[in-house]
Amino acid sequence: MAMDNKQKIDSLLKHKVSWLEDSGPDDDIAISSRIRLARNIKGTPFPIAASPEQLNNTRGAIQMAVEKSNCLGASALCFEMEKLSRWEKELLLERRLVSNEFIVRDGGAALIVKRNEAAGVMINEEDHIRMQALSPGFQLDEVWKNISKIDSLLEKHLPFAYDSKLGYLTSCPTNVGTGMRASVMLHLPGLVLSGQINAAIQGITKLGLAVRGIFGEGSDNQGNLFQVSNQSTLGESEPQIIERLGGVIKQLISHEKNARLTLIEKNQYFLLDHVGRAYGILRHAYVLSSEEALNSLSDIRIGVDMGMFSTVDLHTVNELFLTIHPAHLQKFAGKELSAEERDVFRASMVRDRLKNLKNT
Amino acid sequence: MLCDGCKKNDATIHIQEIINGQKKTIHLCGECAARKSGDNPAMEIGGFNIAEMLYNLTEKLNIPGFQQALQQGGAAPAQEKALVCSGCGWTTEGLRNSGRLGCPECYNTFRDILEAALENMHRGKLHVGKKPGSDSSDESPRLMLELMNYQKELEELIQREEYEKAAKVRDTINELKKKIKK
Repeated sequence: MAMDNKQKIDSLLKHKVSWLEDSGPDDDIAISSRIRLARNIKGTPFPIAASPEQLNNTRGAIQMAVEKSNCLGASALCFEMEKLSRWEKELLLERRLVSNEFIVRDGGAALIVKRNEAAGVMINEEDHIRMQALSPGFQLDEVWKNISKIDSLLEKHLPFAYDSKLGYLTSCPTNVGTGMRASVMLHLPGLVLSGQINAAIQGITKLGLAVRGIFGEGSDNQGNLFQVSNQSTLGESEPQIIERLGGVIKQLISHEKNARLTLIEKNQYFLLDHVGRAYGILRHAYVLSSEEALNSLSDIRIGVDMGMFSTVDLHTVNELFLTIHPAHLQKFAGKELSAEERDVFRASMVRDRLKNLKNT
Repeated sequence: MLCDGCKKNDATIHIQEIINGQKKTIHLCGECAARKSGDNPAMEIGGFNIAEMLYNLTEKLNIPGFQQALQQGGAAPAQEKALVCSGCGWTTEGLRNSGRLGCPECYNTFRDILEAALENMHRGKLHVGKKPGSDSSDESPRLMLELMNYQKELEELIQREEYEKAAKVRDTINELKKKIKK
């Protein structure tokens, strides 16, 4: 039986997000690792230069190839973007299944996602295909294996645009070559609190890597969350890029650990106060914006990570990191809410969640 | 999202700045980003600004020496200012405004503009990563390409109102789809 979009969205919500569910390596600081590959079809205009008919034809061919290759499993879910409401699209964005750029596209754009959300294929984003794999913690090698397998299965059914000198051809020349963007989402409150974050970001940028906020390009660095990714895609192999990026991530993790230890040693009350105040806000506020919620959750998380704060567990914090966002919130409310109503509902949901924890 | 600069074009460049701990995000189109980065060196992302880079390089097309070099290289005089891609109709202007290419063939069309830009963007000039597999026994990608070519033909026939031919092509497409799905 074919599911409608509402049923498909509900079925996503029934399962826990795999990249938040299991604990991964270094998951106190590295939230998740992601790799996306850009691919295009030979002899076909990129989405920016394609007619609506061409977009539809490309989409049909890719949908067929995904299905036939079974690269996302038999229970994969497909969303055709023009059939989704604004909030359904936002929900996919909050779950990090699609990009900011993707949700403003309509005709010809589609997302096919593995049921556990660990991998997906965006059709007709900037490129014909943007496939991604996502895992919890810091494990780029594992993620590369997963996405490369999907790529290899797909290429048996689709003729990818490839040049022996320039590699995989992409709409933006910044992606040509491997078409790969590998990134790790890091939670860096220690570096932020100790005032070292700007220097760290400058250092990373000088190494030819990019730092972005939680939802990629154009998003702010809310909740002390930073995505670090490679910029260069040509002239190095995928494992080389991953190794170079991984080396920098390892250093950042160790800087963050040092910053946290220094805070505990030299500024214990400042840190405890920070965590305690954040808990106070989340536990007792009646109006809570998503930015305040995200920042307070970030403050609590550092307390949880360091074993200073046993009232809340990491799983609850991670789950709230996702559910406080507007589209998820409205899904739980079961109706559309104004921005003011959302702030009230958010506060009540977080209060309840933390209250229940205390009782168990 | 509209460009914060001209409020006309779509913003394709998103720049984050942290000044004294205050975060600020600016959304710009390629043109405005190129213009702005000239008077504000802080407006670079990750050490380079792609639209600016392409903008500066395409500016070279207007330098007489560069044009001559192009012409000597075999480019027709009619193309002295703007190149047009034979694959998709994408122009130098399109490339400059969006920082994007229109189709795989554009990499040949705009090779001269791209060459130096690619060198600045990336750590190398040659692809050394994964290649599409050389499993030539698999005919599926070829069928898929054939399918898409027929679909293109079908559209053209319908536009020209050649319905009889279109019906035949549609049958071929259906046959191909069956074959691919098998």
